[in-house]
Amino acid sequence: MTDASSPAMELHPRPTGGEPVPWAFPAPERTDLPNGLKLLRVNRPGQQVIAVEVCVPVPLTAEPEGLEGVAALMVRALSEGTEQHSAEEFAAELERCGATLDAHADHAAIRVSLEVPASRLERGMELLADALRAPAFADAEVERLVRNRLDEIPHELANPARRAAMALSAELFPADSRMSRPRQGSEESVARINPAAVRDFYAAQVRPTGSSVVIVGDFAGVDLDAVVERTLGRWRGEAAAPAVVLPVTADDTGRVVIVDRPGSVQTQVLIGRVGPDRHDMVWPAQLLGVYCLGGTLTSRLDRVLREEKGYTYGMRAFAQVLRSSSAGDGAAMLAISGSVATDVTGPAMADLWQVLRTLAESGLTDDERDVAVRNLVGVAPLRFETAASVASTIADQVDQQLPDDFQAKLYARLAETGTVEATAAAVNAFPVDRLVTVLVGDAGQIAGPLKELGIGEVTVVTA
Amino acid sequence: MGHTATEQHAADGRENAAAGPRVTEHRLANGLRVVLSEDRQTPVAAVCLWYDVGSRHEVPGRTGLAHLFEHLMFQGSAQVPGNGHFELVQSAGGSLNGTTSFERTNYFETMPAHELELALWLEADRMGTLLTALDEESMENQRDVVKNERRQRYDNVPYGTAFERLTAMVYPEGHPYHHTPIGSMADLDAASLEDARAFFRTYYAPGNAVLSVVGDLDTERTLGWIEKYFGSIPAHDGKQPPRDGTLPDITGGDQRQVLVEDVPARALLAAYRLPHDGTRAADAADLALTVLGGGESSRLYNRLVRRDGTAVTAGFGMMRLAGAPSFAWLDVKTSGDAEIPAIEAAVAEELDRFAAEGPTPEEMERAQAQLEREWLDRLSTVAGRADEFCRYAVLFGDPKLALTAVDRILEVTAEEVREIAAARLRTDNRAALVYEPSGGTDGEAAEDEDDVKEQQQ
Repeated sequence: MTDASSPAMELHPRPTGGEPVPWAFPAPERTDLPNGLKLLRVNRPGQQVIAVEVCVPVPLTAEPEGLEGVAALMVRALSEGTEQHSAEEFAAELERCGATLDAHADHAAIRVSLEVPASRLERGMELLADALRAPAFADAEVERLVRNRLDEIPHELANPARRAAMALSAELFPADSRMSRPRQGSEESVARINPAAVRDFYAAQVRPTGSSVVIVGDFAGVDLDAVVERTLGRWRGEAAAPAVVLPVTADDTGRVVIVDRPGSVQTQVLIGRVGPDRHDMVWPAQLLGVYCLGGTLTSRLDRVLREEKGYTYGMRAFAQVLRSSSAGDGAAMLAISGSVATDVTGPAMADLWQVLRTLAESGLTDDERDVAVRNLVGVAPLRFETAASVASTIADQVDQQLPDDFQAKLYARLAETGTVEATAAAVNAFPVDRLVTVLVGDAGQIAGPLKELGIGEVTVVTA
Repeated sequence: MGHTATEQHAADGRENAAAGPRVTEHRLANGLRVVLSEDRQTPVAAVCLWYDVGSRHEVPGRTGLAHLFEHLMFQGSAQVPGNGHFELVQSAGGSLNGTTSFERTNYFETMPAHELELALWLEADRMGTLLTALDEESMENQRDVVKNERRQRYDNVPYGTAFERLTAMVYPEGHPYHHTPIGSMADLDAASLEDARAFFRTYYAPGNAVLSVVGDLDTERTLGWIEKYFGSIPAHDGKQPPRDGTLPDITGGDQRQVLVEDVPARALLAAYRLPHDGTRAADAADLALTVLGGGESSRLYNRLVRRDGTAVTAGFGMMRLAGAPSFAWLDVKTSGDAEIPAIEAAVAEELDRFAAEGPTPEEMERAQAQLEREWLDRLSTVAGRADEFCRYAVLFGDPKLALTAVDRILEVTAEEVREIAAARLRTDNRAALVYEPSGGTDGEAAEDEDDVKEQQQ
């Protein structure tokens, strides 16, 4: 169907690439500070927004029983006023230097992240250090954060993707596991949090000894050691008692849970189980295999569900580390996630299962494996262009107790991984009879078709 | 080589940058404008191609066509089969995508530097030969994909259609910005293969595009590749200018809709007309919105979230538009049992006080630092810089304006910020949506009404 009305362009054969420029994930330089804090730095010329990640090794299991959410609330409260500034003043001071400060409490650790233009690094670091070493935790501010958190929960429950994630955790992990409950707590547990609980949790857990700080960016004209000494160097405290960490267990008996959301025009799909983390030898093969299954829109899932059938805007497979340690007792969540139109939910799930069965029966092709390697290895210099992306990956290595050269060596390991290993890892990651499926959607329309699929018992819960 | 070149060494707007990036501009004989900028710090190169076509060019009954067409650009061309564009870029270690807005459609690839030529070849192949591959099967498939994109991003999430509703209130019926780029389900269903072909023939011309390449590249060699691959694409000039986007500075009335829907909390969302992008007044408006509602030291956040305790979130955003008035966007979600009249009264009080007194020097300093930081973030990647060069070339005729955008924001005075707030953030320039939770029972009825409304448009 040539457009005959206009003269054709001159066509040239597809160019072959030039010689790759050698690139390696940067090795952080380590320094131990007198206060017990470990400093990891990477100079990245040209990156004018400096990224600082503070890793405090406090897992969510350190929270007192019944106070789930106190860690998340405490880290939020770090930036709501210090000995120097009220909450409003502190926010204003941060914004005055063009800085952003975020804090999260996850299963593995607490993370406090600062990004600040290089020209205002010291001021940003002062504020970060004040937040960590001298937070005010004023009653009124903590009580406001509790109310805010309670206000946020209904919004999260109304969001199909968030609702699905919460339902999967509750289904997959035993009821007494911290992992079965929302990271930021439930309505009941958050309502029990008071200022004293926040202050106690901080006092017991947040210490420089055992913590690490990762700083990445353009250090031209910056005496980083002096800046760190004048800021985070003033943070004091002995090591906290290590929290008890239990092995991750999960029940991945194949089953389907439908969270009823009447009137939904789409069904949110989240299929998951627990599997190997980065300490496991299989990690590179799993990364490759899971990419081939659902890493992009040309992977197996989207080739059928999106590009052939048009059932979805996109369906992704991924592995996300939950908690990890050098003892090898960690785990990653292995999941498939996306949303499909309500009226094709049954056929879409049937196709999805068929994709998994075909993978198990026939395996990946060498070509798929080659493309995946070329992508995962080739995108590294793009992916790590900004200071923030380098800093967060190094901080993940710290939290997961991985060696500093883990990411740097991963690329050679990927290149050495063959099709057979990648296939085995993908099939082991998503065995068709060991998957917990959560669907957030209109149960009245989707429960029937799902029961006919035979992918496990179907339970409907009200949202 | 059939192009003209100008060159300038400019400051890149980044602090501490010893010397600015080298930026050159060129034009091929077929009208394609080219912007090149070398930056050898990381072995990556970004290709960005802006076509001067967006949802404002769509005709009644075909809303969403520009965006649907963007999807079709990834379905193959003369030398690229099926999903080959994605496959080839990704297997070369690149990343890619495309987006559609009111005013433009952009396509971009970030490549390892040694694979830059491939991205140029791919973009040229689809600019020159898309119609040889475009077929009914791709059209039907991508129509379904886009309808699912609409469901996922707008129809299946609480408050998801607020932006679309506010847009329709701020830009009146018949105005090119009255509808949003995603389009309506009915129009997506109605789009035909012939519509798509005509859209390509009209708008996907070399003279209607700007190509920018930024990163670890050799300017002369890159220009040689661009000439080789794009140079023979025939010029054509079938494009009609978009419908006139001129509107009065203010809407002239306090429009208001109350929606009873299955949402988790009461909310007040509102929009205001603002000056066109590219003007000093637009920069002043951006600063005003930042002082009033950007971040956690803003006036509205301090008032509603911290002091009154009536809101869980409160803030302003700005959508800059060049071909019609820009758009301010207020978003307040209530806390607990707080009611909308209390929120509205507090917002009105803060806006009135700001209109009378303007920002304090400290507030100006903070707002300028925040906007400067946003620019540093945008310019921190080669892809971000390539996109900004295209933006300034397409919308304002000069890519190098991207390098001085921060300077212009820093020049704005507090009095200008007060003036623009007083002139625009007023009730006779407001479109408001009030959400009241239905408790989960009226959701379907509200959606049915929405369908009827879409069909009437």
